[in-house]
Amino acid sequence: MLLYAVVPVDATAPEMHGLAGTQLEIIRGKLAAVIVEESSERVSATSDESRAFAEIICDLATTTSMLPIRFPTMLPTRSAVLAELQANEAAWRGRLTELDGLSEVVIRAQGPEADPELDSASGSSGTTYLMNRAAVIHRREASVAEISELVRPWARDVKVLHSQQGVRIACLVPDADVPQLTAAVSTWQQAGNDRQAVVSGPWPVFSFAIDQRAGSR
Amino acid sequence: MNDATERWSDNQVALVDLIDRVIGGGVVLTGDVVLGVAGVDLVYLGLRLVIAPAHEIEPSIALGRRSA
Repeated sequence: MLLYAVVPVDATAPEMHGLAGTQLEIIRGKLAAVIVEESSERVSATSDESRAFAEIICDLATTTSMLPIRFPTMLPTRSAVLAELQANEAAWRGRLTELDGLSEVVIRAQGPEADPELDSASGSSGTTYLMNRAAVIHRREASVAEISELVRPWARDVKVLHSQQGVRIACLVPDADVPQLTAAVSTWQQAGNDRQAVVSGPWPVFSFAIDQRAGSR
Repeated sequence: MNDATERWSDNQVALVDLIDRVIGGGVVLTGDVVLGVAGVDLVYLGLRLVIAPAHEIEPSIALGRRSA
């Protein structure tokens, strides 16, 4: 079975099909439920399948609060799903309550990066290269601090994501506050000549489904 | 943004971010694996399955190098 999301125990069964073309089902425990699709075929995390899964999750999120399950997670039987529910449903119900009405937005931001000439390994000394890399890291840290401060009025939590260029920060934001946060980032970008920023979302709370501060699971 | 990013539209950036979050975020489950040969179960492993982008597990992968 391919697992999609943890939802409240009283959530309505979704009227949609999954990646395998089968009707999605809901398996209920006592405190929470899991949306699954009966599928015996192994699912691979190709770009197309990941995208299709994401679209299904986003559609589901319009109908109920949820904790998305990492793709691709499969369990062999219905009883295995029930076992997971029994082991985790108390924590999942608590997290569902905490995250109700919240969405995730991701901010990609970039200020001035390293001098391209200095950033090149050729034609510069190792010391110069290392100093330049250190400067880039310092600028990234400063950008993270600046953006975290910028979104503080609306973001309940932030998480710095991996990024090879600039910084990428996931923000946990009340649904109603997403426009204000987006506008603030736009204003921030326009206030600096060398600032670039893209806001994507709002999405289901992929980056915050597990409360890492609580060390859950 | 650099040249590579400038060629991307905001929608493309959003799609990349979304796919990254689908496979890098979300609830992680535990699992069991039974290793067997010719239908005979030999080894049982209780696992915490963590499926994540390689760079989140081993940062050096993102830098294009592997530890010795």
